[in-house]
This record gives sequence, structure tokens and C-alpha cells, in this order.
Amino acid sequence: MPFAYYERLSRAQQKIYRDSDGVTELRLERPADLHPRVTALQAALSTEARPATQAATEGLIDGLTDALGIPRVTVEVLAARPHAQWGELHGLYTVTRGRRPKIQLWMRTAKHKRVVAFRTFLRTLLHEVGHHIDYTLLRLPDSFHTEGFYKRESSLFYQLVPDARRRVSAPAVRSMEDWRAALVADRLERLERTPSDLARLVRGHTGTVLSRRPAPDAWSAKEVVCHLRDAEEHLSGWIRMILAMDDPVLVTTGTADRWVEERQYARHHVGAAWDAFGRRRDETLDLLRGLPAEAWARAGRHERRGRMTVDDLIALMAWHDDNHLDQVKRALDGKP
Amino acid sequence: MPTMEEYAKQPIADRVKRLERTPDELAAAIKGQSATVLAKRPDEKNWAAVEVVCHLRDTEEGFAGRFQMLLAMDDPQLFGPDPDRWAAERQYLRNDAGDAVAAFRKRRQDTLDILRKLTSEQWKRGGSHPVRGRITIEDFVTLMAWHDDNHLDQLKRAVEGKA
Repeated sequence: MPFAYYERLSRAQQKIYRDSDGVTELRLERPADLHPRVTALQAALSTEARPATQAATEGLIDGLTDALGIPRVTVEVLAARPHAQWGELHGLYTVTRGRRPKIQLWMRTAKHKRVVAFRTFLRTLLHEVGHHIDYTLLRLPDSFHTEGFYKRESSLFYQLVPDARRRVSAPAVRSMEDWRAALVADRLERLERTPSDLARLVRGHTGTVLSRRPAPDAWSAKEVVCHLRDAEEHLSGWIRMILAMDDPVLVTTGTADRWVEERQYARHHVGAAWDAFGRRRDETLDLLRGLPAEAWARAGRHERRGRMTVDDLIALMAWHDDNHLDQVKRALDGKP
Repeated sequence: MPTMEEYAKQPIADRVKRLERTPDELAAAIKGQSATVLAKRPDEKNWAAVEVVCHLRDTEEGFAGRFQMLLAMDDPQLFGPDPDRWAAERQYLRNDAGDAVAAFRKRRQDTLDILRKLTSEQWKRGGSHPVRGRITIEDFVTLMAWHDDNHLDQLKRAVEGKA
């Protein structure tokens, strides 16, 4: 099933599209040879230093092009992403006649100038290398974003980061570091969508199914809904503390598992719990949308996580939503 | 039933003893009562016995949280709970009263563990409460002793169908 823009392409372009869509995998002969370069890139990016990241990025891209037997490219790692009208530019592949093709990658977000999460950076890198592969290895006259293109990008990603496979079963779950790098608007949108996502998941299931634990120590769908309700009160409470005091201690009075037992989630009505969660969530969003920009940088101290800003807490909440929505799905499938 | 002012004049050890007795007194007050009786509100507005027990359980967690804040920060701002919202949201009427007493017993034990380790200076550490103004840990223990009395009395009345 081609993407919608396929219909707007000329016949010649549609042929290229189909050719691109037909190749869904790129096999590296010895992917493990490149793993040290991947590790080096992750280390370089974590130093937040541009020259080190430039060198490590070049090292990995050279390794990839050599492994695939295609010409090398010029690599340029730049600081903050430029704003584009349609969003932020993450990477760019350009071909100029008579010159070596060039890949440009930005290592910081446009708005907060934060260093991009490693996996996001690696995906962008592979995306741009993917365009180079289209022209040089697959010998396509044009490089379209086809489903095949994205699958090729993914196949490279999972050969380079083998442990990422564990995440494939839950593709909707983004890590906290990914959420931290995401736009504020995206994070708020995630938070806003969660009550309706949750409703879609639980709708039509019997009380028995909703209350069934997939394993003795894994929560039922209903328990997850109750947890989201109580976590919302707890986390928004931290935000209120951070806004009211300078550098408060963010206290914790119990583990989530303790709440499940002592508040007797198994006896709750899931619809009422969902309703209460939705109201709490609306209140949180009202609070966040009314905040001046500088308030996002206010912080508190967490015993385990250290210094946490309002911004960090919103990333945490976005990840927390992803994570528990996925857990609801699994619980309904009978999987822990 | 002593007032808060009267409790405040008692030695701290006596107030703490009052806190120690409450789990057993709660268990005795609900013993032999059916789930129907325990979940019956005496009137539209007043809580049923099981709601009183759940309220004590959840406020106990809140008190421990405040103690943590008062010990870790200088003069923090404290936030008031919203007990009626908790009763509705956390669906107190669906709870089992016996299990709620057991959970309260553990929470109370946690609180007593914190209190027993306090130095005399720490008893005086305080913060600002939205309703009660400046309040120290010692004041909180006074409040808790009175709060226990008050809700035990409410629970006994609820079991008898009285508001």
C-alpha cells in the first residue's frame, strides 16, 4: 500500500517508488564490526561536544559506506537545528554535481538547544545515509520516503543497536530521553491524548478481562488506570510544589505497588477511575498551559533522580503515559 | 474526648501513645459488622464507616509526607488535602474495611517509626499550612491525636446509622 503522495507522482517516478518499496532490508555482512563505532558515537554525543560528535559521526558513516561498498560522503555535524516552517530540520542529504554528496546532522534541538537523544540522532543519521544508499547502492534515480525506505533504515538500526529489538514489541513507547528532546507542544499533545487513548483500549472489554492480571505480579488493565489516576495527583503535586517553593524536596510516600494494594485498586470501578484520571489530567494541562516559559526551568530535588525541572517532569509524564498505555494493551492480551 | 488545646498540653509521649492505640480501636469498632453496614452512609453527606477508615489510611500517608518535608526543608509550604475528593476518586465505598484497617496499621507504624527517631530540635521543625498557619511536627502529632479521636467517634456513630 503506497503512501498517499504516490498518486501525484509521474509514471516514471511511480516506477522508482515501487522499486524503492520493494527493498525492505539491507544486510551488513559483519554488523558487529561497527558496534564499537556506534558506542563511540553514543559516548561522543553524551559529552555534548560538537567536534567529538563530528569525528564519531564521520567514523560511523565511513564504516557504513565502506561496509556497503559505496562511495564515502562528506559529513557535517552542526549545533542547534534550524527552524523550518514545517518544524525542525534534523538532517539533510544534498548532492551537488561534481562534488562529494554531503550529509548534515544537527545535534541540538531548535527550541531548547538540548543535545538530541542518542537513538534519535542515530535514526536521523541512518535516514540520511539511506538517501545516499538509494542513489549509490540501489541505483535509484530518485530517493523517495517509501515504506521500503523506512524498513531499510530500521533494518540498519537494529543491526547496529541489537538490544533495541526489545523495544520493537512496543514501538509506541518512547524513552524518557526521547521525550525530553521532543517539542513541548508534542509532549503536551501526548498528555492530552492519553485519556482518549486509554478509553479506546478499555472500551468493550468485560469487567472480568479488565480485572485479570496477566501474571501474579503484573497489574491488570484496571489497576493501570487507577495507577494513572493516582500518579497524576502525585506528579502534578510535585509540579505545584516546584512552582510554590525554590528547590523543594520531592517526597515520595509509597511505591506504586503499595498503592495498588492499600487503596484496593482491584475493587475499583474502571470507568469511574478513568473519569477521575481525565479530570486530574485536564487540571494538569490547565496548569501547564498557563505557565510562563521561565517556570519550566524551575526545579525540585528527587531522592533517586536528582534535580528535576518542570520540563523533566513533563518528559517523565509523557514517557509514563506511553509506558502504561502499552502495559494496558499487554494486560488485555494476557501478557505481563 | 480531649480538644486539640488539651492534647497540646499533654506530654508528647502520651500523645504518641494515643496514636499507637488507634489501629486496635478501629479494628474493634468494625469487628462483626457486615459489609453492608460498614458501607452505609448515615445520610447523604456523612461518610460511612469504611470511608472513615480509608480516610485515616490516606491521611496517614499524607502526614508522613509532611514529616519528610519538614525534616528535609526549612519552613516549607504545605498543601492541604482534599478528603472528600479522595473519598470519591479512590472509591472508598468499594473498599474492604478490614483490609483498609490493616493498611492503616502499617502506615501508622511507619509514622511512629519516624517520630521515635526525632531529636528534640526536630520536633520543633515547622512549615506553613494553608489553613492552620505555622505548624510544627509536634503540632501535627497533636492534630493527629485529635483527628484519631474525632474519626473513631464518627465511625462508631456511622455504624449505628447516626450522622
